[in-house]
Parts: sequence; C-alpha cells; structure tokens
Amino acid sequence: MEVVLHLPVVPNAELVAAKAVETLGRALGMHQTQVEAASVAMVEACLNAMEHGGGPVTVRLRGDNHSRPCLVIEVEDHGRGFDPERAPRNSSSRVLGSTSKRGWGLTLIRELMDEVQIQSAPGRTVVAMRKYVESAP
Amino acid sequence: MSEEQIRIAKDLLAEGVGLIAAAGYINNEGGQAIADAASELMDQGCKTLVIDLDGTRIINSIGVSILLEILEKLMDEKGRLAFCNLTPTIAKTFEIMGLVQYATVYPDRLAARAALEGHAAV
Repeated sequence: MEVVLHLPVVPNAELVAAKAVETLGRALGMHQTQVEAASVAMVEACLNAMEHGGGPVTVRLRGDNHSRPCLVIEVEDHGRGFDPERAPRNSSSRVLGSTSKRGWGLTLIRELMDEVQIQSAPGRTVVAMRKYVESAP
Repeated sequence: MSEEQIRIAKDLLAEGVGLIAAAGYINNEGGQAIADAASELMDQGCKTLVIDLDGTRIINSIGVSILLEILEKLMDEKGRLAFCNLTPTIAKTFEIMGLVQYATVYPDRLAARAALEGHAAV
C-alpha cells in the first residue's frame, strides 16, 4: 500500500499529509506516540520543502517490512537543493537570547524518526524517513 | 484535519497565575494566538503562566519558536512558564528545542495548580 500526495504551497497543506501518516500508521499497527512523532517529523520536512523548494511538494507514504516493519515517508521538492552535511544542527543551549529561533526542522526530523536519509541536488531533494512499528506499551 | 484551527481559552489558575488552554495545531498562527493570550495575562499582572495543551496533538517548530519568545518575555519579568497535558511527542519536541530546560512540565492542570498556588505572588 502506498499513498502519494502532491501538496500545493498553501497554508496548512502539511496537515493533509499528517492525516495520511495517522491513517497509514494506524493501519500498520503503530502506537499513537509513534504516529505523532512521525507526523511532526513529516510536517517539518514538508515545511522545509515548501519554504526552500519553490513549488509543489510530493509526499510518498508506505509500509515496509524488509528488515523490520516500519512506516516509510519520503518528502520531495524541486528546489535548488542543499548540502545535508552543512545544514544547521541546532542546540537547545543557544536558543534563548537568539534573535532567530528558526532552523529546527532537520534536527527534529533526525531526533523523532528512526532512520533519515537525505538526497539533494539542484532540482531534486528527497528526505526519506523511517519510523519502526512498535507495539503499544 | 479538524484540529487545524486552534482554540484558545484563558483564565486565572490562581492569584498571579494565568492559564492558557490551547487545543489545535500550534503553527505560526497557533503560536501567535497563544502569545497574544500570554501578553494579555501578563498585562493583568500574571508573572506565572501555565499553558495547557490538552487537545493539541501536532505542532511545528515555528509555533514552538513563538512559545520560546513567550518564555523569554516571562524570564525578563522574573516570571515563570509551565506546561501541562503534553503528549510524549510534544514533550520530546520541547526537550529537543530547549523549552523544558527553562519551563516546568506538570502532568495536568490540577498538578500545576497545586504546585504553583501560593508561589506566584512575587
């Protein structure tokens, strides 16, 4: 089962994809906490793609059972791309007093998801994320 | 999604302690709505604010950055910020972004009131 969404750059379009994460995550048997973590990470990926991608964003969602059951989320944009190694890694210690409190997207994605891979080149960036299915406590 | 539009209610939890109940998506608009409520309560003399996020399941970093600005304003006034009814994911997001190093998290509104009553009048 795969869900593919093409999101326009309009306010709150990311919530459409969040709803899809919720539906597919539950179908895969994910606990609500895992679903919510995946939703927040996906929202951050979509916001980054909309801000820097310069056009519609494609979101692909599917379940995968190759090594461990998981939810796979891919967020694709067609902007100028970036070097993931040079992307900012924010630290909570420098938050207060800073004039700019933005730039948390990739940090949150990496912390909230189990695996993250970023492929980026001019014209195509894909943030691929996996969240393992864990049974409810 | 039904929780797209944030719903805000504000009240006094105790003397000098303002309560903001926020349910919905905390994005730039949701964060700003909370900030507006916080400013009103601070103008009324509240130096301690409790933000109750019961009913909030999804947030984004832009919304949380606005909550950080509320925290800074309170700290400038020697005030305090607290949260209650956080989902595990929201609590983790606040931890990653540094909010819980400076704010207190209570399990629910009753626990917040019990802890803060009598400590807010500075």
